[in-house]
Amino acid sequence: MNTQGMQLARGLRDGKGRSEGARGGLPLKDESLDFPTLMAETGAPDPRWCSYFFLYDGSKVKEEGDPTRAGICYFYPKDTPLEQQELLCGQLAGVCRCVSELSCSPVRLLRLRRRKFAICMRGDFLWALGCAVEIPDVSIHGFLEQLIGLFCFYNGPVRQSYQLHSPEELAIQWGLYLSHLQGGATELHHIFSSLRTIDSTRIDPLLLLKAALILQACQRCSLVLAGCILYCGRVVSTQMPPDLTAKVLVNETEANNQDLKHLANGVTSPDSTPLSSSVTSIPVFLTPSELHALRCPPVDWACRSHCLPLQANQTKKSRLLSRTLSDTPAPESEPPSLDSTFRTPNSHQTMPCSTRSSLSDEMCFSPSPSLNAFSHTPLPQHHPGSCDQVLANGTQLTGSQEVWQGQGQDGSILGAPHGENGGISESHEGSHNRGDCYGDSVKEERRHEEDREVANETEPHGANAQSGEEQSHRNNSWNPNNSCKDGSPEDEEEESRNADNRLMRKEQGSHNEEESLSSEGAQKDEAPTCMSSSGASEPTLVAMTLYQHRVRGLVLALLVEPNFQSDAAAMEEVHHSSLASLNGLEAHLRSTTVGTPGPPGGYTFAHYDCLQNTLTTNLSGGAGSPQERSFVRATSLLHSQFSQSVTLQETIVRSAGAAVYGTRSAAQETYFLQQGATVRNSGVPNPQDSAFSLPSKARHRLLKHGVNLL
Amino acid sequence: MKCLLVASESAEVLFYWADPEFEQNIQKQYGATSEEGQKPPAFEDSINTRFAPIIISCSSMIDRIDDCYTCFSTENGHTYVLHQFDECLYIAVNGDGDEKEEDLRRKIYVMKKLTEVHFGMVTLSSTLLKRELRPQDTDQRNRLWKKLQSLLGTYSQLREQDQSFLIEAVERLIHPTLCEQCIEFLERRLVQQINTSSERAGEEVLHAFILVHTKLLAFYSSRNASTLTSSDLLCLILMVQNRYPNSGDLEDAAPEDVENTSMPDIFYTPEPSPTEGGSGSGSGEGSHTPIFQFVDPDIQMAEDSLQTLEFPPPDPATPSRVFLEATIKEGYCPMMPHSMYCLQLWPGITLVLLTKIPNSQVAISVYYFLDTFTNLEKRLSEGQEGSNSPRSPLPLQDLRSKLDKFIRALGSSDVQTSQLQNAWAEFKSKAFSRGGPGVTKELLPWCRNMKTQLCGVYRQCFVTESVGNTQRLAPSLQDRALAMVQEKLMDWKEFLLVKSKRNITMVSYPVRFPGLIHFVYVDRTAGQMIAPSINVTDRSTSELGKGPLAQFIKGKVWSLVGTARRYLQKGYTTVTLRDGDYYFCYFLWFENETGYKLDVIDLPILADDSPPVGMLAWDYYRKLLRYYSKYHHGEVVKCYELLTIHLGVIPSEYVLQHCCQLARKLWEPSRIPLL
Repeated sequence: MNTQGMQLARGLRDGKGRSEGARGGLPLKDESLDFPTLMAETGAPDPRWCSYFFLYDGSKVKEEGDPTRAGICYFYPKDTPLEQQELLCGQLAGVCRCVSELSCSPVRLLRLRRRKFAICMRGDFLWALGCAVEIPDVSIHGFLEQLIGLFCFYNGPVRQSYQLHSPEELAIQWGLYLSHLQGGATELHHIFSSLRTIDSTRIDPLLLLKAALILQACQRCSLVLAGCILYCGRVVSTQMPPDLTAKVLVNETEANNQDLKHLANGVTSPDSTPLSSSVTSIPVFLTPSELHALRCPPVDWACRSHCLPLQANQTKKSRLLSRTLSDTPAPESEPPSLDSTFRTPNSHQTMPCSTRSSLSDEMCFSPSPSLNAFSHTPLPQHHPGSCDQVLANGTQLTGSQEVWQGQGQDGSILGAPHGENGGISESHEGSHNRGDCYGDSVKEERRHEEDREVANETEPHGANAQSGEEQSHRNNSWNPNNSCKDGSPEDEEEESRNADNRLMRKEQGSHNEEESLSSEGAQKDEAPTCMSSSGASEPTLVAMTLYQHRVRGLVLALLVEPNFQSDAAAMEEVHHSSLASLNGLEAHLRSTTVGTPGPPGGYTFAHYDCLQNTLTTNLSGGAGSPQERSFVRATSLLHSQFSQSVTLQETIVRSAGAAVYGTRSAAQETYFLQQGATVRNSGVPNPQDSAFSLPSKARHRLLKHGVNLL
Repeated sequence: MKCLLVASESAEVLFYWADPEFEQNIQKQYGATSEEGQKPPAFEDSINTRFAPIIISCSSMIDRIDDCYTCFSTENGHTYVLHQFDECLYIAVNGDGDEKEEDLRRKIYVMKKLTEVHFGMVTLSSTLLKRELRPQDTDQRNRLWKKLQSLLGTYSQLREQDQSFLIEAVERLIHPTLCEQCIEFLERRLVQQINTSSERAGEEVLHAFILVHTKLLAFYSSRNASTLTSSDLLCLILMVQNRYPNSGDLEDAAPEDVENTSMPDIFYTPEPSPTEGGSGSGSGEGSHTPIFQFVDPDIQMAEDSLQTLEFPPPDPATPSRVFLEATIKEGYCPMMPHSMYCLQLWPGITLVLLTKIPNSQVAISVYYFLDTFTNLEKRLSEGQEGSNSPRSPLPLQDLRSKLDKFIRALGSSDVQTSQLQNAWAEFKSKAFSRGGPGVTKELLPWCRNMKTQLCGVYRQCFVTESVGNTQRLAPSLQDRALAMVQEKLMDWKEFLLVKSKRNITMVSYPVRFPGLIHFVYVDRTAGQMIAPSINVTDRSTSELGKGPLAQFIKGKVWSLVGTARRYLQKGYTTVTLRDGDYYFCYFLWFENETGYKLDVIDLPILADDSPPVGMLAWDYYRKLLRYYSKYHHGEVVKCYELLTIHLGVIPSEYVLQHCCQLARKLWEPSRIPLL
């Protein structure tokens, strides 16, 4: 930690020379005309993604005499001299408040000459995440939102957490999440905020299927909402939306370190349960929208698998016999806002087979003893207000409907329901663009209506804020309930699909609010849950339980109803039904693990699946060669342009040393660089130029990685 | 909702420019916080109150961690860009999405450029500049602010509407014959006649050019004149446009002009069109005059905001003082005083004369001394004290004798030099006397003081209105010059006005380049561009069609230019984009003088908040050329850019072929010397 302090001090000091440019004035003389920051960026970047992070509570610093330090809830790096902490917090918070008053809207991004900060202002709270200026805005915002999301997932509303626990205890938490988010992943993963997954090309597809089946089997217990299987910090299979998976993943890695047991409200497996110590349960907090997504996935999402044209990564997936979300290595959540609208069309891809077919798959392949019982799964009951949907084949729920609710609720997560700037629009910015690219006007319309409803139902806001929110609201979300009713052809297809699905519907929804209310102590008083119909929810966090079963490097994580813990029979059933297969799976995975990415093959590529939030690349981590560095640089530039420009489909950029091709569709982004190909040329337009053959090269080369650009 | 604010470090407003929406917003917020029944405060006070915390936080960040804010953005899309030049903090705000961060930063640099052209080297001393930007006298302040506000307004408008201000390169009227005739006329007749006249009052015409709206018809520089940089030329065009606002839309509303003039279709290949232009002549220019008294809304706004009475219009015969970069045999001066005469031939057509003023060599000396003191400061603060410097001994003795001489020379003219003399005496006593500290760091404050005093002398000589105000070409001489050029161009008048709207048309291109929608070709070495006209007003029909479509294409062009610049800033010289139904290409390359294509090299990668890529406010391309030349010694290096927009259905091989052919074709006309 001390080194971090040193770095910080250096970071604050260095660049003294640079500022001269701004302050010193005189010579304009010809000879002195040089680029001010000539080639300044060629050095290797700071390996740390985040250089500062702090949470500042403005309500603690109201009076003239209040010391700034009173408002600092958490500051990273923690050994920063207090004086400097106060300077940064005080100045940034002050200036952000001033700007947000001028513009009647919270500040989102603040840039200094050598640093940039993603800002999140909700009520009296202000989060700031500082990083190097080269990192795209989109990515740094994703990072901040993830971080806040993680905290709320494990600790509940922020205001309340700080009332119940000491800042020191919570500082450990923030530290854990920060180190988790920064750890391990490559720069590319950071740029896309994608999740790390096992390399599906390297393992037997049957193992993925097996993992999916284990999850399905667990779901036969009505108290289990959804699950995922992780191996050594990577996702093997998941039934949860990408951002939820990401949250579960952090717990997994931390739990490995045995840290989590000391966490504030961490509860290890109840004494009552006669299960092995490899099983733990801890309380977690879901936003009503997340919960809703788990309980009643939107209908059209499933149906779309039929009607949408296949996308590029389809080929890859089709190799698998039964494709479930689980095969796709895990999505780490981009901020929910970013991909939420996308997820809808995409998710269909993840479940190409119908329920029936997956059933039959099970019959044929499942090594699990529990399989036989599968067909006896109780038929689903209709959960009031929910959409018909099946989780049966490991299908993913879309995250799309989470968005608005998640937002709406943020205000109160933070214990500041009346915050004039409400949390709503914060993460919308990002999704706004993405939403646009989807370009589905009908849906847009719908969403808009939806949003209006929502807006009416949420807390009162300042007039200005409200209009701002409303504006940023649109595009973001749509109500699955409403959307099923629209008469578009897609929807009709949905209907028929629904009928199918209904057979398989699970009972999961049948537990009502009271039950969940009775969960964890912390939540009881303040957390009226709402999980019935989507629109009417009150923005709060709902306490649920995260059940984890650990078999060496393998973890089965299940989101379960809170009363699962007290239901010894259910617990035992889940435990026993999965135990054997987990052991088997672990053994298989252990034998096929690791392996560095294959030989480069003369090109570098990155393929990002926006819907599942996964990244496939042949680029090893680390700084790499100059060409690899320029690939990463170009990729981050192109990614941020794709995120800004709705209609942009493909682009080639070329500098003297490297040419990079980028292409995107609604569901994916692909970047490609041909190595070695001499790019030396005059830069003059020339059809023979090798840079312009990149698209066709990319098409050919990437086929063998399962990326279809045709 | 737009605003640009210049403030001192102590949060004093040195200048502001705001649109009505922004003013309203501020007033509303201010009203909410101030007590009932009180008269709303002056806008200047409100804006000061609202921005003061930001400004103060900015300076404490600089003091404490030596970093400062460059940009804020809010969730509802407002953008704030901040930039500190010396002791002045510039803040540009946009709340309506019209301008992106880069645009705001560009605007800040343009504002700085305008102050430089306006105040010259006074801008090199923050102390003086602050006083200059915010004169104590309210009337004077209002007058100055109104002027700068109107210039900024004109800039914003031109950047939105005019390709040459988007690209930041001069667009010429493509008509070589007429152009050549005019240059010859300017040289042999006009400039010669003025410069040999006894009524020129010691001034000497260095440059003369004719503008048709923003486009350059002919440009002549006398032989002993320094080259006029593209940056300065663009700035002058901006000033002319500000003085004689282009009422483009209104002109279109009088269609008979356009119809009567049977315009020959002139494509990119220039042809002489000798007779047609005459057909529109004599249709009574007098009747048009009222139309052109249209007042630009921005200017109107600025007037309202200042709540002042109309100022009497300046005497048209009075030149404006402008400060332009010059390298002449006596030396280099980044801001050399010139007088600029704008003589309007007809509405839309202007003759501009730039003259050298009698005592302008003082500016060169001042700059020389400023430069010397700056170097001295730099070396002192780096710790190279005394004479044991590894590089070269500090040229103090040389400085001493030269400065003594300079002060004596100034004394003989009627310039007040007592302050400079005092400062210099003090400096000498510190630096040279035995009892003083000698040449050490302690000398730094005196160096600074000397610089301030030098700027003060410069200000006295060139900026203050009282001195030399009467100095100008005799009005009768100006009238004669005007009449001469009017006579020369009389027959071309209508033609030129139309031609300026349709300099190059896309008509012939689809045949040879199927699918090509628009292109821009720029010779960055010369600072000139060629592009088909984009007219988006409802009245005029261009090849792009009317209204919405043309507007759409225009939007695409504007955004493409922004994108290309962003990539160029990051070192990419080739960019292609498939965007919706269109395919965009951007190329930048280098050639030697004979047209041989030179290898591209790795270009500098600039930070996000680095000065804008362009030529008007900060000449990126000049620096680029200098950077490139390091790798190509002894060769004249030229830099070109090409942007194209094609229909997306055209296969990319063809698109590239088109680009290739276009670059080859357009090379020719761009080589017509600018003289």
